[in-house]
Amino acid sequence: MARSTGKTERSLEQMYDNDPERTDAAVSGHGPGTSRRGFLGGVGLAAVGVAAGGTMPFGRHMPAGILPTALAQDKKSTPAAAKGPIHLDFPGKDKGLVVLGERPLVAETPEHLLDDDTTPIDKFFIRNNGQLPDEAKDPDKWTIKIDGEVNNPFEITLGELKSKYKPQTLRMVLECGGNGRSFYAPRASGNQWTNGGAGCAEWTGVRLADVLKTAGVKPSGIYTAHYAADLHLSGDADKPVISRGVRMPKAMEPECMIVWAMNGQPLPNVHGGPVRLIIPGWPGSASQKWLTRIWVRDKEHDGPGMTGTSYRVAINPMVPGDKADPKNFRILESMPVRSIITAPASGTRLAAGTRNVALRGASWAGDLTVRRVDVSIDYGQSWQEAKLSDPRNRFDWQRWTTNVKLPSDGYYEIWSRATDSEGKTQPHVAANWNPSGYGGNPFHRIAVLVG
Amino acid sequence: MGEIPSIGSRFWWVDLSMATPMTAKRAKAVRLLLLALSVASAVFLVTVGSVAQQPAFQPRLEEPEEYPDLPGREETFYFCVACHNFKLVAQQGMSRHRWDGTLNFMTERHGMPKLEGKERETILDYLEKAFPESEAPTGWQNPFLKR
Ligand code: HEC
Repeated sequence: MARSTGKTERSLEQMYDNDPERTDAAVSGHGPGTSRRGFLGGVGLAAVGVAAGGTMPFGRHMPAGILPTALAQDKKSTPAAAKGPIHLDFPGKDKGLVVLGERPLVAETPEHLLDDDTTPIDKFFIRNNGQLPDEAKDPDKWTIKIDGEVNNPFEITLGELKSKYKPQTLRMVLECGGNGRSFYAPRASGNQWTNGGAGCAEWTGVRLADVLKTAGVKPSGIYTAHYAADLHLSGDADKPVISRGVRMPKAMEPECMIVWAMNGQPLPNVHGGPVRLIIPGWPGSASQKWLTRIWVRDKEHDGPGMTGTSYRVAINPMVPGDKADPKNFRILESMPVRSIITAPASGTRLAAGTRNVALRGASWAGDLTVRRVDVSIDYGQSWQEAKLSDPRNRFDWQRWTTNVKLPSDGYYEIWSRATDSEGKTQPHVAANWNPSGYGGNPFHRIAVLVG
Repeated sequence: MGEIPSIGSRFWWVDLSMATPMTAKRAKAVRLLLLALSVASAVFLVTVGSVAQQPAFQPRLEEPEEYPDLPGREETFYFCVACHNFKLVAQQGMSRHRWDGTLNFMTERHGMPKLEGKERETILDYLEKAFPESEAPTGWQNPFLKR
């Protein structure tokens, strides 16, 4: 690593120590006779490089106006923290999406925007753990490596993947592992998803199993480990942002895919394009975006996101808010059963006298299917069963509809709850508290006002 | 602006174009930021060469004044925003021991420089008071309540 030797390359830190006022003036560009560009083009950049642990090569090429935000923030140009949700402003994405985090970019889809049978790309939630990689200039040349406990490790380009294997298209739910986290009490840490960290799109690609068969998984190959091209938030290029994997039997399911298209379109960069994994039914983090490598391992993968309490739930229930004992945690595999009301939207005002309300919604249950969906207009004192559709293929969601009769004008809450094929029903509250809030799947609850 | 190394795109969230003078308090906090940023040195060395693209998304600039005005705010803000937006911090509500665990997690898992001694206390004091353990889940909000 290049280290600073030049005497002129003082660190910004030192400069502040020695002469804060002049340094301020220089950094801010408001100092007498010091133009900002001049400062940035000269010692300033080197200084930042030094402060950051080395000289910054080519610093002189860096355009004026690029330095850590914290070095200078402008009151006038910075909008005050918005009250209420911040809506997404991103090319190609619906403005109704709600931003949970900007760096990394994370945005959820309010339940009422999940009203389509197939979630359009513009309405699909966004979860990044690191910095978005640059758009691939030549997607077909993108290379994926398969290695580890296999007889024939190989590299394959996306172009070859498309031509050598039989493609398939399936409509499947992709759901963030933390979906429903915001319903935990005390608050669980991480992005505060409501139910909108999920969507159901048509994915086109090849079976992961076909690719693994070409590689010839050895009997010792019991776990996959996925790697990608995104960059860690710290900027450390050697650090995987997140690297998760699954047990081999899951990876071999015919619906686990390496995909390059979403709803018939080339997979957008923000959704992991040009190529990503889809491991349906399990936390979305297993469905590595910008896939570059699948390493077949002879033990449970221990990459970032696999250990501690990440993507894990408590084995023996713990006191909510208590210190977690990592030994008491197991990997979250199948996602729990969930239902959402997609119409009407929570907050809808209905004309006075309205008595009949048509409801629409969706439901899904990780590796399982949904057996029934019920709704209640009286806080769960009575329930009525909704009409539930079959999934198109395994891991598709199941849409449901029903009509409810409201007895009067006024404020009503409408709740929905789904029951999975093993008989488990969504609970009233987020259950089995764990520090990072995985598995929160209480009833969906909306409010409408008649009159 | 022909020759922009891709550090421009890696750090596209940072912008000095409308700089204002810093207060002494802020200048002090910046030192903490630079310490936190020291982990980012690799990017300076590895990503130069390719041409930066205009990022598709510009995160909103945040400032410490958006968050509860308690001692240690600037120090905490500038230390944490080296890697991610402060909203990721501010949307949490935790007890001191869980905040303490979070700081360890940032260091062990994500390479945050280890916080020790007085600096750690200052930051923990702020986190604990500004974003305390909350029994109320954030998830469901009544759309008809005027907030
Ligand atoms: C060296 C980089 C770095 C620094 C500095 C840093 N963090 Fe983080 N932090 C991360 C990364 C990476 C994540 C994961 C982001 C993701 O996956 O969305 C994260 C996530 C978090 C989360 C989300 C909780 C979770 O379980 O994922 C919290 C809370 C958090 N950081 C708090 C802090 C606080 C408080 C500070 C300042 C004292 C801080 N961080 C400084 C890198 C950093």
